[in-house]
Amino acid sequence: MDLNSLLDHTVDGLTKGSIYALVALGYTLVYGVLKLINFAHSEVFMVGIWSVLGVYTALGITGASGFGALAVALVLGSVAAVLASAGTALAIERIAYRPLRKKNAPALIYLITSIGCSLVLVETFGFVLRQFFGPPFGRALVSIPTVISYDTLFTIGDVKISNIQVIIIVSALVMMIALDQFVNRSRLGRGVRAVAQDPDTAALMGVNKDRIIMLVFVLGGAMAGVAALLHTLRFGAAKFDIGFLIGVKAFTAAVLGGIGNLRGALVGGLLLGVAETFSSSLISSNWEDVTAFVVLIIILMFRPTGLLGESLGKARA
Amino acid sequence: MRRNTRLGLGAAAISIALAVSACGTTDDGDDDKAGGGGGGDCSGTIGLMGALSGSNASVVTPSRDGAKLAVKQFLAENEDCDITLTEFDTEGDPAKATPLANQIATNEDFIGIIGGAFSGETRAMKPIFQEAGVVMISQSATATDLTQVDQVDVFHRVVGYDDVQGAAIANYLEGSGATKVFVVDDSTTYGEPLATKVKSDLGDLVVDSDKTQEGQTDFAAVVSKIESAAPDAVFYAGYAAEAGPFLKQLRDAGVEAEFVGGDGLYGSDFPTAAGPNSEGAVVTCPCLPADQAEGNFAEDFEAEYGTAPGAYAAEGYDAANIFLQGFKEGNNTREKMLDWVNNYTGSGITKDYEFDENGDVALDKVVIWAYEIKDGALTPKEELSAE
Amino acid sequence: MIDRLRDLDDRRVAFAGGIRNKWDDVPKPVKAVVVVALVALLFYLPFLNILPFAQIRTDLDSGGSDWGGVLFTITIFAIIAVGLNVVIGLCGLLDLGYVGFFALGAYTMALFGSPTSPVTEYIRNRFDLSDTWAVTWAALIPLAMVLTMVSGVILGAPTLRLRGDYLALVTMGFGEIIRIVARNSEWTGGPQGVSSIPKPPGPMDSNGREFFNVLDVYRFYWLALVFLIILIFAVRRLEHSRVGRAWMAIREDEDAAAIMGVPTFTFKLWAFAIGAALGGVSGALFASRQGFIDPGTFDLQLSFLFVAMVVIGGSGNMAGAIVGAFLLTYLPERFREIEEWRNVAFGIALVTVMILRPQGLVPNRRRARELKDRAAEPVEAAGGEGSFS
Repeated sequence: MDLNSLLDHTVDGLTKGSIYALVALGYTLVYGVLKLINFAHSEVFMVGIWSVLGVYTALGITGASGFGALAVALVLGSVAAVLASAGTALAIERIAYRPLRKKNAPALIYLITSIGCSLVLVETFGFVLRQFFGPPFGRALVSIPTVISYDTLFTIGDVKISNIQVIIIVSALVMMIALDQFVNRSRLGRGVRAVAQDPDTAALMGVNKDRIIMLVFVLGGAMAGVAALLHTLRFGAAKFDIGFLIGVKAFTAAVLGGIGNLRGALVGGLLLGVAETFSSSLISSNWEDVTAFVVLIIILMFRPTGLLGESLGKARA
Repeated sequence: MRRNTRLGLGAAAISIALAVSACGTTDDGDDDKAGGGGGGDCSGTIGLMGALSGSNASVVTPSRDGAKLAVKQFLAENEDCDITLTEFDTEGDPAKATPLANQIATNEDFIGIIGGAFSGETRAMKPIFQEAGVVMISQSATATDLTQVDQVDVFHRVVGYDDVQGAAIANYLEGSGATKVFVVDDSTTYGEPLATKVKSDLGDLVVDSDKTQEGQTDFAAVVSKIESAAPDAVFYAGYAAEAGPFLKQLRDAGVEAEFVGGDGLYGSDFPTAAGPNSEGAVVTCPCLPADQAEGNFAEDFEAEYGTAPGAYAAEGYDAANIFLQGFKEGNNTREKMLDWVNNYTGSGITKDYEFDENGDVALDKVVIWAYEIKDGALTPKEELSAE
Repeated sequence: MIDRLRDLDDRRVAFAGGIRNKWDDVPKPVKAVVVVALVALLFYLPFLNILPFAQIRTDLDSGGSDWGGVLFTITIFAIIAVGLNVVIGLCGLLDLGYVGFFALGAYTMALFGSPTSPVTEYIRNRFDLSDTWAVTWAALIPLAMVLTMVSGVILGAPTLRLRGDYLALVTMGFGEIIRIVARNSEWTGGPQGVSSIPKPPGPMDSNGREFFNVLDVYRFYWLALVFLIILIFAVRRLEHSRVGRAWMAIREDEDAAAIMGVPTFTFKLWAFAIGAALGGVSGALFASRQGFIDPGTFDLQLSFLFVAMVVIGGSGNMAGAIVGAFLLTYLPERFREIEEWRNVAFGIALVTVMILRPQGLVPNRRRARELKDRAAEPVEAAGGEGSFS
């Protein structure tokens, strides 16, 4: 493989990985604080994508709309995605997880409940909503109008770097840094770290556990919402089960980086994206998904604490 | 003491209920299930199986509509006939098709089947229908091996098969002046053999190839490979559900190469999903453009359904008519209908039919057409030849 | 409203418990007679035509599925539920990739039994055998069991040391890997799958057809029923043996069990292997009846369905697992109008059951106790009503 392909694949991988990283943040936050794998997080992402489609449809946006309209649509779409995803995450917490927390349920029960939530959400968009509203809901893939058209921003050697790739990678980094700052510097962030480290002591120190947990879900959901918007920029498609594969890969990324570790989510996401891109070009594309599963298994077996290893609760210099 | 009384009463109640119910049994005798009123020989039920819902439905629903139109017109002209067309939605999935096929096979009312629509599900259904003796006429299952490798007596199709389609596609690509062709298939039981045939016919013109999978939405890896290979043309052997986003991402990435697809892409959803940059993409199909079909088929279809006929609509119409004529001649059992279809010679609206011993139409009767996306819809472009 | 539901449910439990207590009191010979009568009824089911009992049939109208076929599916899923119950219910290991064992069993039957499969063709060429040679049916079921057991051990050995949720993810990964490998590899037949899978040998029946044929599916049902009964007995014996008690100890508190000298890892591996074997048998029967399998059947959704069956039915309780299998397979078939709603219903059922009644509909009494104790912990620790909320 020549240098150009190498670079090309790397940039592609980083783009893909940025989206994984943002979704991974949701998994890692929830796990760090609650020690719970939130299976339904992939559907939180999916809801974000549909809300972007909803905004575009409501505004009557097509690929041919004027620049101003597109800009407005983009902003509104982002807001909608973040709100919808955060809202969904919060709803799941209130409806499904809180009763279990009250009953001190074992991890198995949480896991099964989250699978149930995931199923309900998938079927809602894949079937139930279709019964009430008809298309575009349903099993078929729905096209989302292209709001930012592809353009080569600059080239390195022979490799074209597009505007979309840059937007995605930069956005992911910005959100990442913002979240990191929030968790490490702000008062609420301190609360998050406290609950992650020791919930009972945190409560004794005056931290409102329930509020912090809600905050964690909202943050994770918001990140997923941003990821959803970026995903629509890149792929322009909504499907009822689009969350599943992204969710599994994002979870793998979170584990790869060190579950509970925010920076680990970024590292894991980027690494996984690049690994996938390389594997699918070296073998063929239909083995791409296996990469994620194989990475997951290897990491869990040989280094379950992940690459960066630390958790949200540990104090970090 | 009290416990025993309760138990005893309970047992008595159950036995009384049993005795009373013995007076009624389920009526699965032949009365209402005998395909509509004991009257006349011209009666029966045929089933239609295919992906009537789901992401590939637009490839199948036109042929279903064509078949329904045929039945409606026939019943209007032959009022003493009592024929029902029952639809079964398999979503194109062999796993869903198998239990449905079992259901049909064990129900003596079904005399024949129009289907399967896709090659994978047809392969799954063939042995079941063969064992039950139910005639199959497929309007769109084009995988070559269905008749050339695993012949069964009951299977027939009214369209050419993929070896022929593949040769025609290769001819088209060569004729269009392409010197580098990138071939992609979707790893299905339909796409893979079609791509293999095209690749072998194109020989050195193939610069590289890749595989996608069903349900895939992220085609970045393939697109990236295509970008590196910089071909003149891309050929995709697969279904519309994946082809739409694939083409969209291909064009969004700035790849200008000509895009050619097989008949699995011929659905009204494909141009919509592929987006505005898909103009000029070509889809081939062993099906006749509906306005070239005999008679007033295109107008009748539009009058009935409000849209122009789509992929395989006319072929669905023809398949139904073969059955309908069979019923008219009094073939209302599975054995008689199988005999009728095996020996059928006649003209449909798309071609003349005479099935060979494998269930295929004569090679010189096979038509392959190329359609292109113009203004967001698939319109006929030119007829192709497999020579 | 929830309290009213709980009330009703408590009354149902008391009623069921009452029956169970009475059953325990009944003398042994009577028990045996009742069991035999029940089994006879099960065998008779395909022919049940007497109204109103025949209302349970699914093929009363022409749109319904073949009754024998539905019974067969219920039975093989019951075998799966029994197997998965060993893993999840008795031993407490969450396996989200159980469909992988189902697939392995099916593919074993297909690849070694079908004369057109790539594997039999390879063996034929290697050893110069006749053109239609394939492994005989009778040998395929034990072969499937052995291969799935071995794969269960291979899967379990490195992963069973992981804690609960990680194990779940790893098993899920394995299930998907098995499906993708089956789809992408040549020697498994690729996406086309494998066809011409043999049916069990049997005499010719009165219609001149083979005994096990496509139309008289109820005979497959009988065959599956025989397997189910044998396997139920086998698992019961295990449950009430040292092995079963070790499993329960591990489930309740693994560290305490280890301290008490239970070799937890070995027993967990056994649970996995036995669960896998049952999945394999079920898969092999499934493949034989279908005559054709393709990798798309064995997807993650099916794994979730299996887990749902065990958990909703009552994990830890074999009867509960079977009830779960029955409900989740039968109801969508019987009420075809709601079939499209099936998945939503599953999801809602999972969430509801987990919140309201995590021990399942027909629970293992010990398990119900465990969950109750856990729920009481925070209240006790806080010295009274919770002060957090």
